[in-house]
Amino acid sequence: MLEKLSENVLDKVSIDYLRNQVLKNAYGNDDTPIARLDPRVLLIWYLFFGLVPWFLGDVVTLLGMFIFCAATTRLARVAPLVLFVFALGVFSQTGYLLIVSILFSGSIDALIPLLVMTLKVTTCSLASITVFSGLDPDRLSNGLLWFGCPERLSFSISFAYRILPIMFEELQNILLSFRMRGRAPAHETLGGKVHWLVYQVKTIIQSFYPLMLNMAKRSRTTVEALELKGYRYASTNAAVLKIKLGSLAIGRNDILFIALSVVWALGCFALPHVLEVLV
Amino acid sequence: MAIVSINDLTFTYPGAENPTLLHLDLEVEEGDFLAIMGANGCGKSTLCKAMNGIIPQFIAGDISGTLMVSGLDASQTPLGELAQHVGYVYQDFENQLVRPTVLDEASFASLNYAQPDYLARGMRALELVGLANKAESYVWALSGGQKHLLALAGALALEPEVIILDEPIAQLDPYHARQTYEVLRELNENHGKTIIVIEHHTDFIADYCKHAVLMNAGAVSWKLPAREALRQLDDLRASDIYPPEIALAARELKDTGVLDSGATLPTTVAEGVQAFAGLGFTPQPCPARPVRADVPAAVEFRGVSVSYRSVKGAPRQVFDGFDLAIHEGEKVALVGSNGAGKTTLMKLMCGLVKPQGGEVLLKGVSTRGRGAEEISDAISLVYQNPEQMFIKDSVRADVSFAMRARGRVDADEHAHELVERFRLTRLADRDGRLMSGGQMRRASLAIGIALDPPILLLDEPTANLDIATRREIVRTIADLRGVTDTVVIATHDMQLVCQFADRVIVLNQGRVIGDGAPEEIFHDEEVVRASGICPPEIYAMGAALDCRASCFDIEDFLMSFDAYRALAHAATGEAADVPVADVSVAETRTADAPSAGVPAANAPSAACEKEVA
Repeated sequence: MLEKLSENVLDKVSIDYLRNQVLKNAYGNDDTPIARLDPRVLLIWYLFFGLVPWFLGDVVTLLGMFIFCAATTRLARVAPLVLFVFALGVFSQTGYLLIVSILFSGSIDALIPLLVMTLKVTTCSLASITVFSGLDPDRLSNGLLWFGCPERLSFSISFAYRILPIMFEELQNILLSFRMRGRAPAHETLGGKVHWLVYQVKTIIQSFYPLMLNMAKRSRTTVEALELKGYRYASTNAAVLKIKLGSLAIGRNDILFIALSVVWALGCFALPHVLEVLV
Repeated sequence: MAIVSINDLTFTYPGAENPTLLHLDLEVEEGDFLAIMGANGCGKSTLCKAMNGIIPQFIAGDISGTLMVSGLDASQTPLGELAQHVGYVYQDFENQLVRPTVLDEASFASLNYAQPDYLARGMRALELVGLANKAESYVWALSGGQKHLLALAGALALEPEVIILDEPIAQLDPYHARQTYEVLRELNENHGKTIIVIEHHTDFIADYCKHAVLMNAGAVSWKLPAREALRQLDDLRASDIYPPEIALAARELKDTGVLDSGATLPTTVAEGVQAFAGLGFTPQPCPARPVRADVPAAVEFRGVSVSYRSVKGAPRQVFDGFDLAIHEGEKVALVGSNGAGKTTLMKLMCGLVKPQGGEVLLKGVSTRGRGAEEISDAISLVYQNPEQMFIKDSVRADVSFAMRARGRVDADEHAHELVERFRLTRLADRDGRLMSGGQMRRASLAIGIALDPPILLLDEPTANLDIATRREIVRTIADLRGVTDTVVIATHDMQLVCQFADRVIVLNQGRVIGDGAPEEIFHDEEVVRASGICPPEIYAMGAALDCRASCFDIEDFLMSFDAYRALAHAATGEAADVPVADVSVAETRTADAPSAGVPAANAPSAACEKEVA
């Protein structure tokens, strides 16, 4: 049982899993309601839900916004690894303080500010995850382009996702080379385990040199191909930009989404006052 | 009308002492399907990059002479304008794909040149190469063959009149290689495109090309109709190009007087059937192959199931309840199209992939619970891509790495021996990546056998190599027959299979659909069809003359001719110097005297008729 569990955990930390999650994150959710929204709408939405919570102090309002962002994150079908990293991040920022204070003081006065802080961080993070992970890189870069981001940046985003799977595969094989030809220290004792860990970290660092050289070798063709495909030519041509952005269109779903967001946000702001009146 | 016309072209790379192209003249007619042949470093790629203006506009250098494409001066016309007349597909085509989805990639160039109908153009290009149903797919989800077609579609979208392809099939399995050439033929014949390929595979040149050019030291030696070009055996060999085996065999027959000296040399099986008609041809029995059933299994798969995570939807099942035993001392070839599970099978043996169900036994011990480091003492894997085996900054350090890690005191001496053995002494202190394809491959083999593993696995050892280098690697691998005990090679290269393997295992979609000696596999039409393997040309030639023939190399083929055999036996009576066109590794299976009971040649036996029916 224990062996099976440890195998399962080891399986999760493999490069293969990492590669799969990155791809899943970028392209595995292109048929969700969030992914089909116009990127410009989502970016504006993000400006609100990613920024405004920082300036709020009311627990109820924040809680409402948190629930909304959690729902959009759920809709965007974000990859598990991203959620895990997010959870780890929140916990290491403020979450652990929250738990520690619950365990040791139990006083509500100490809890509220911590809860507010945690909710702020969580809501903004979830909004970011929804937008940057729910949209596929191409639509995201088109959206950024519309807002006047330089062409190079938006191309880099989608190109990075094109090159990532190749890079992961390359890294995976290099690491396997190390594993097959190297000899990891025995790790039965505690000292052995430390040695083993140091060895693994060292291997990963050493893998970067061959990885970079292999990628550099591959990119020689890529650079020429970009030139032939007129990439440089296009970046100075306004007509190309117009054609590209011509594909963006706001539809019924976008309007629905905006309406729902506005109503919900207003509700969140109104709720504390309503509660005050009622209580 | 000439669509490409080159006059006195000379080009020198910056910093190079000698020009790569030297007073080169060439005219390519509109609608031609032209092959460019030549030894490594003779300037083929440089010439092609000059045609699309990359040289000298992107890669600078000293250039003189003129190069006109579609009436445009290639050295002056902006690359963007030129790209609409000349399309280019690289040898490492995967690195040419810069967009995430298929339709995006196909229409990217049209978009960049601000053509408003860019999507329609991309779609049209995809239809031309047969990828229209994949338009919405992601590039990483395509197979190697499909990626190649996509790179071609990307070039086609701008509707150029000329398409240049650098070694289009070097990375493809035989099935996809034919598919690519069929697409090119369609473009050439029905869409009026002029196709220029850099190509070494003479069988493809014979079947598809109209003309062929031989380059030598930066100049064009000759331009001839394709078939005639392939009959210039001496010129081709001088340029490290391996001429069609059928032509080589025919010339040997002419030289020894078996074939009429006035006959034209055949270059394809169809021509061969005519040329060799009327000659006594008696298939020789295959050499006995060792039977290994009683030998203990070196590797055993028991009910192995493996699936990979997919980005979307259910995991992709590669193996389900897979059983297989590989015995000690066997020389096994693992064949099957891309994606059949060959590489996964190898990774399973090394413990790099763990089975989700069942188990893999190495000499009777399960790999479960053992790390790859531990297993690597018993088994060694040489990757398809040698670059990924270079983890140190010099070849010598790479070769000795595994031995040092295991604290072997003689690591340095043994590494020195290996480096010498694989003829890498002069290069031993360089980074492996900076070497040529053949040198890299030799280095990766040296790394692979450094620990003297009892089981050696080679993944596509001859992929991406030009023919001359490939033959050299085949020889090197053949030499390993004596060194390592059990060897498993995953390959598309049937010549390698014929020269090396005792046993061929055919994989198709994670199942073994054929398992036996090479001749058994090649004779099994169903297996051949299902797996898309195609026997080497000389084998097909022999089989076309008599369906029972199993000729693995030119010598087997020649020895099947009654008259030739008689001459050879007469010669062996006096001297050991048998006239043989190609002395490779044939020694191991030279057929001795023919058995008495073989029926006369050219009289179709009952077995043949049955098969034809």
